[in-house]
Amino acid sequence: MTAFMTGYVHVIDAVNYRIGRVMMWGLFVMMGILLWSSISKTFFLPSLWTLEMAQFAMVTYYIMGGPYSLQMGSNVRMDLFYHTWNDRKKAWFDAFTIFFLLIYLGVLIWGGVGSTAYSLGYWGDAPFSYFWGLITGAEEIGRLERSSTAWRPYAWPIKSIMVLGFFLMLLQAISELFKDIARIRGNEIGVTRT
Amino acid sequence: QSTIKWRMQTYAGPALAAHVIDPAIAMFNKIAGDRMQIELFYADQLVPTGELFRAMQKGTIDAVQSDDDSMASPTDVTVFGGYFPFASRYSLDVPVLFNQYGLNEIWDEEYSAVGIKHVSAGSWDPCHFATKDPINSLADLKGKRVFTFPTAGRFLSQFGVVPVTLPWEDIEVAVQTGELDGVAWSGITEDYTVGWADVTDYFLTNNISGAWAGSFFTNLDRWNELPEDLQTLFRVCCDQSHYYRQWWYWGGEASLRVNGDKMKLTTIPDEEWAQVEEAAVKFWDEIAAESPTKAKVVEIFRKYNSDMQKAGRPYRYG
Amino acid sequence: MSQEYIAIFMFASMMLMLFTGQRVFGAIGAVGAIAALSLWGVGGQDIPFSAAMKLMKWYPLLTLPMFIFMGYVLSESRLADDLYRMFHVWMGPVNGGLAIGTIGLMVLVSAMNGLSVAGMAIGATIALPELLRRGYDKIMVTGVIQAGSSLGILVPPSVVLVLYAMIARQPVGQLWLAGVLPGLMMATLFVVYIWLRCKFQPHLGPAMEDAHEVSRAEKLRLLGAGVLPLAIFAAMMVPFVNGWTSLVESSAIGALTALFASVAKRRMTWHIFETCTKQTLLISCMFMWIILAALGFGAVFDGLGAVKAIDNLFTDQLGLNPWVILILMQLSFIIMGTFLDDTAMLVIVAPLYVPLVKVLGFDLIWYGVLYTITTQIAYMTPPFGYNLFLMRAMAPPEIGLGDIYRSIVPFVLIMGVALAIIMIFPQIALWLPNYVYGK
Ligand code: NA
Ligand code: NA
Repeated sequence: MTAFMTGYVHVIDAVNYRIGRVMMWGLFVMMGILLWSSISKTFFLPSLWTLEMAQFAMVTYYIMGGPYSLQMGSNVRMDLFYHTWNDRKKAWFDAFTIFFLLIYLGVLIWGGVGSTAYSLGYWGDAPFSYFWGLITGAEEIGRLERSSTAWRPYAWPIKSIMVLGFFLMLLQAISELFKDIARIRGNEIGVTRT
Repeated sequence: QSTIKWRMQTYAGPALAAHVIDPAIAMFNKIAGDRMQIELFYADQLVPTGELFRAMQKGTIDAVQSDDDSMASPTDVTVFGGYFPFASRYSLDVPVLFNQYGLNEIWDEEYSAVGIKHVSAGSWDPCHFATKDPINSLADLKGKRVFTFPTAGRFLSQFGVVPVTLPWEDIEVAVQTGELDGVAWSGITEDYTVGWADVTDYFLTNNISGAWAGSFFTNLDRWNELPEDLQTLFRVCCDQSHYYRQWWYWGGEASLRVNGDKMKLTTIPDEEWAQVEEAAVKFWDEIAAESPTKAKVVEIFRKYNSDMQKAGRPYRYG
Repeated sequence: MSQEYIAIFMFASMMLMLFTGQRVFGAIGAVGAIAALSLWGVGGQDIPFSAAMKLMKWYPLLTLPMFIFMGYVLSESRLADDLYRMFHVWMGPVNGGLAIGTIGLMVLVSAMNGLSVAGMAIGATIALPELLRRGYDKIMVTGVIQAGSSLGILVPPSVVLVLYAMIARQPVGQLWLAGVLPGLMMATLFVVYIWLRCKFQPHLGPAMEDAHEVSRAEKLRLLGAGVLPLAIFAAMMVPFVNGWTSLVESSAIGALTALFASVAKRRMTWHIFETCTKQTLLISCMFMWIILAALGFGAVFDGLGAVKAIDNLFTDQLGLNPWVILILMQLSFIIMGTFLDDTAMLVIVAPLYVPLVKVLGFDLIWYGVLYTITTQIAYMTPPFGYNLFLMRAMAPPEIGLGDIYRSIVPFVLIMGVALAIIMIFPQIALWLPNYVYGK
């Protein structure tokens, strides 16, 4: 079990770390889109796509960057009591309360998978089995959802990115749980990254 | 027996809703009493407008007031909701098209297939431009970033208009912060009611549609669970809302053009505007080519407009 | 469950979850998600995700990473060093002068960034060590830096006012301008307090004796340092107020201008650049995930009728005079703000209060300023406040937690006074936006 947990933490942390290090440059993608928006507006015809593209970039930036921020411990806590506790006690509390975080992420994924299935034309109540059906060939892609703007981009790419980000966040939260369990047992797992 | 509770979300923000939906829902709740209560939520309040259709289909929200186009219904009739260019000239055209020319039946079939009850369509206001700069010719439209309906935007982009879609409630602010140059979304009554007249200076008297089509929808299962008398009451209250709009817009448009002091009126001459009307004929053909259902609806519009033409005054002048 | 019980139940569970020390977004998001699953009925599980779609449409939120980046560039590349020297040299010879100069520094830094983080970082790294070395009272200077940096969200640009603008659906430009005079007024009140305090207790802020060593020419040259922040501020605000660029475009221009300025002054290295970029992601994620969770919580809270219950409480049940309601709202906000996360507070509480303020007939631009000052107070009142956290993290070891808590008392009182003044004289906030935007 310990070997599994250690291995899991190493793999997940490494993956999310790399994704986060790529995502951080997304800031300049957003800047570029916004600059192009002002340039095209001033000198040419305003572009149709800049507004939505900037929204997509923003969503990708913070959702895909989320697991990295979780790993770095940059999510604030209400630490009236928390900061007075020692690391072991913190780990004990976190090991329980993280299940609330897992529930939240689970519900985000549940809703996200349903919404993504809808964006591929599935209108039923069993989105998970729909995706399974897509793999086995029992289901097929139907009417693709498009944004109700003049540019009309398809909805599935951004929704898939969001679901993927939430899923990676879930994996990272489990990694944090494993680290807390190890801490309770008196040892540390994970390499220190910055 | 416990009270049936519905959540309903409208496309309108509170200022507009005070006219176009609040009274109808208050009436419904008063009459239904302990048997049923509808809680009304405004634009983007529970779910964003883009997710509205799916939320209703799934049952997260029980009923919706919107046009088909804005909530992106996955049906073949979606393009005809909101403003389909030059399909109708007067507000009475819409109920006639639905009740006497067969649109009700087509809508019912389309929405039943996607788990939605289409309760009733009504005629709302005409589609004019309200802008920061004056529009005196088609050339003035070029490069204007305008908040408008998806289908209207697709149509208008051939004249250089850049259609922008933002949450309805953010429009007034977006005009002020420079995201938008104006709106092509409503008549002058709505411009004054929701505050757009405070941030734009000009109103173009030409319109690309004399009346938009908007509807009440509910989740099909929720609808079927209702006793027949409550279904009837719901319909009656929806129709009451449509009726309110008929006189509120018809009188309001004229009165604000004559007496309003916040916007200056401008007009593109008829000869020049004819180009837009011609483009609409082509646009109808393009849409009709997309599917048999769309072709059927376009055919109905053609038939209706030619009947009105033949009927002469007061239906059509010239 | 009645709507009143749902309101109490959801709020109480959220508080309880927060006290466990779990990450704020997880605590709030979980309460919203669990309430949606158990109380909503069919389709409740979709609400948290649809909040993510709603957040996507909150276009002005793009300013958040831009302003965060700008703040990091300013503090990490030590662009403010010259500015600090300017105040140092010019104000040093007065009793308490360095502290007064620090307030001036904070006002200028506030005009270049949208949060209080950069001000805190600059204050704690540049000003604080120097003030301590010069024998200034540690409690007073700790308070000066926290209070001064909180001006970052009142003096434009301001991320808090952007958030408020999205919730209240009010124009950001007018809100920003409305923050200018109250921000300057508050800075003046801080200065008056420091000056008076040091006049009567000179040992709290001893005058600098070696100030005359700086030549007059050098003094004048340093005045030029004040031009840089003004230039960055102008590059961002002038195109925006004139309508040439939109709000979010201006924020990107501001961030780039700050970056170019730091490169031009040869203060930017690859390492600093990478640090700024990384920190921007981390801080943006912190804010965005809280907003995401709070939006989901808010939609569930609203859809379950809890918002109506609170409306009823304030308007029907209490039946009070509008001013009493307004003051009660501010008080309750300050109380909640002392131990709740400020961003979450903004996203959860503002949607409850703003419609009520409108119904009561108050101006929403003016209320935005009151709201921001209240948030500023929340930023620095223990136990929960970003400025307190940052101070705790950045302060040298001789400044203890007790010192930090004690240091904010006079400044919070001054902010309370400023709040009262602006309530009584709304024109302090409204004159400038009316002057600029008046038709
Ligand atoms: Na600022
Ligand atoms: Na606080």
